[in-house]
Amino acid sequence: MAVSMGVPARALDYADPILPGLIPDEAELTAGVRIEPGKSYGFFTDTTLCIGCKACEVACKEWNALPADEVGLTGNSYDNTGRLSANTWRHVAFVEKIGTNGKRAAEMAPFQSNWLMMSDVCKHCHNAPCLEACPTGALFRTEFDTVVVQQDICNGCGYCVPACPFGVVDLNEVDGKAHKCTLCYDRLKGGLEPACAKSCPTDSIQFGEVPDLVEKARARVEDLHGRGAVDAYLYGAPGEPGATGDLGHLNAFFLLTDRPEVYGLPTAPTRASNRVAPALGAGLATMAGLTLAAIALFATNRFATNRRR
Amino acid sequence: MPQDSAVRPYAGETYYGCPALKASPFGWKTAGYIFLAGLSGSAQILGTVADLGGGREKRNLVRNARGLAIAGTVVGPALLIGDLHTPSRWYNMLRIFRRTSPMSIGSYILTGFGAFSALTLGADRLGLAGVARVAQVPAAVAGTGMSVYTAALLSATSTPLWAASPRLLSVRFGASAMASAAAALSLGERLGGRPEGAETLDRVAMAASAVDLVASVAAEREYKAEGVAGPVEEGPWAPVEKIGAIAVGAAVPLVCHAINARRERPSAALSVLGSLAILAGGMALRSAMLHAGNRSATRPRDYFRFARPRPALDHRPAPDRIAR
Ligand code: SF4
Repeated sequence: MAVSMGVPARALDYADPILPGLIPDEAELTAGVRIEPGKSYGFFTDTTLCIGCKACEVACKEWNALPADEVGLTGNSYDNTGRLSANTWRHVAFVEKIGTNGKRAAEMAPFQSNWLMMSDVCKHCHNAPCLEACPTGALFRTEFDTVVVQQDICNGCGYCVPACPFGVVDLNEVDGKAHKCTLCYDRLKGGLEPACAKSCPTDSIQFGEVPDLVEKARARVEDLHGRGAVDAYLYGAPGEPGATGDLGHLNAFFLLTDRPEVYGLPTAPTRASNRVAPALGAGLATMAGLTLAAIALFATNRFATNRRR
Repeated sequence: MPQDSAVRPYAGETYYGCPALKASPFGWKTAGYIFLAGLSGSAQILGTVADLGGGREKRNLVRNARGLAIAGTVVGPALLIGDLHTPSRWYNMLRIFRRTSPMSIGSYILTGFGAFSALTLGADRLGLAGVARVAQVPAAVAGTGMSVYTAALLSATSTPLWAASPRLLSVRFGASAMASAAAALSLGERLGGRPEGAETLDRVAMAASAVDLVASVAAEREYKAEGVAGPVEEGPWAPVEKIGAIAVGAAVPLVCHAINARRERPSAALSVLGSLAILAGGMALRSAMLHAGNRSATRPRDYFRFARPRPALDHRPAPDRIAR
């Protein structure tokens, strides 16, 4: 898709503030992407552009009709959302880097005013542990290469919850089903980009085809390094931290500037299903050994009993 | 290339100490099921061994074993369905088969175990000893799965305590299952006034307890090495694991049965004490591992220590295909 000065070509097609109706392939206007089944879609979340406005959180709640989790103050900076949950599918983390060893910094680097803000979301893993754990097939891979829970099939076993290496998917105690980000499956079907990406005013959240996003993201890292922000790196892009332990890559990946744990992310998450074979193998070998021991003991006992007679 | 900030060794950073994972929603019903699945699965194995190689005087032992297997297949699914959050859709467990999911694998193991165990007991009661003899073999094979698949189920998650040592967890669950079945059947033999059967079973229990004890000590070391031992070292589940599962569940019965094994006239009291200790310890092991695991999921440092780069694992080329 041709893009001039960062504005998608079709963006100027509808200059009139009153729209005639639904715009076909609207994502071409808003994200420069035509959404087609069979391609791989995801998010590139560039945390150096995040201003912590939480428009993504609000847009997600609005579009997906998700209720508030709790209304209160966590005491963790401006983060009163707290965590991703069954009802919260975007979560903006706020890290204030105001000094070291308990001392307030007297000088601050110009970059990001020493704030780290990051809009977290389901990573739509390539080898998704939640999907691999799901015994009912409720969790499936869509035609857009995203991971979605089918609510009419989920029976609330909750096995996807501990399987996820990022603590994303969650059970709703009210309806008894697992819920998480769908990457706006319904919007993608209608040619619309996901609500969070569309609402993000700084383009910190970018929606698109994964290979294009990875290319853009790598260029962005180069650019930042060139400008002196040498801490910038990708998390979850192929071969980078976060895309470890056989997970493949993450369709929703990030540009970070501090180590992953600072944002609450693991450096090297693993693919849970890789532990099935070792566990079953060791267990079945144990059972085989003990069964042989039992056979030997019963046979000896029978022999002894027969002799006593 | 990952920058310095991502590759420098982990020094305890977290996001305000918030959990980086979600704990499983599994509670006492799942712990109870894991215990019962092991007990009934291994009982079917011992019943089959006794029936095929134990001689005539093992009739009652075989019947008890088949009864225990059925108890597992009746109460087990009730516990599992009771722990679902939409229990009315339990049947979706059999909608697909997914080999990457021990819960899916286990659903079929349980179904097969239940069907063949029911056939075995039914044929036995109807006097069709030949049918029971054949049907018990697949039931016993499924019984080995019943004894250990639950360990694979816990290990194949991101919960640090469960994921840190898949092999040893499975050895512990399997050994404890075999010991529990032998203990329960031994108690049955004592109650029925057949000390000889009890003595054989106590030796099986002794062997299983020895395996359990060795694996438990090795697992504790592995948890420490991985930096995830917190929930079994401190807090409410530490004594359940150390005293309940390891001391009472493995060490005490090992001593009781070992003393008896050396005696000319084995003591019934020691045998019963050993058997009761195994059963109590088996339940303690499942409860401690389940609940301590749930705690470990909420401890971000445990997880971040576990999810550290491991060069041997992380540079394998990722397969393009996803398992469905
Ligand atoms: S981040 Fe978690 S919930 Fe999202 S696809 Fe990966 S495993 Fe599933």
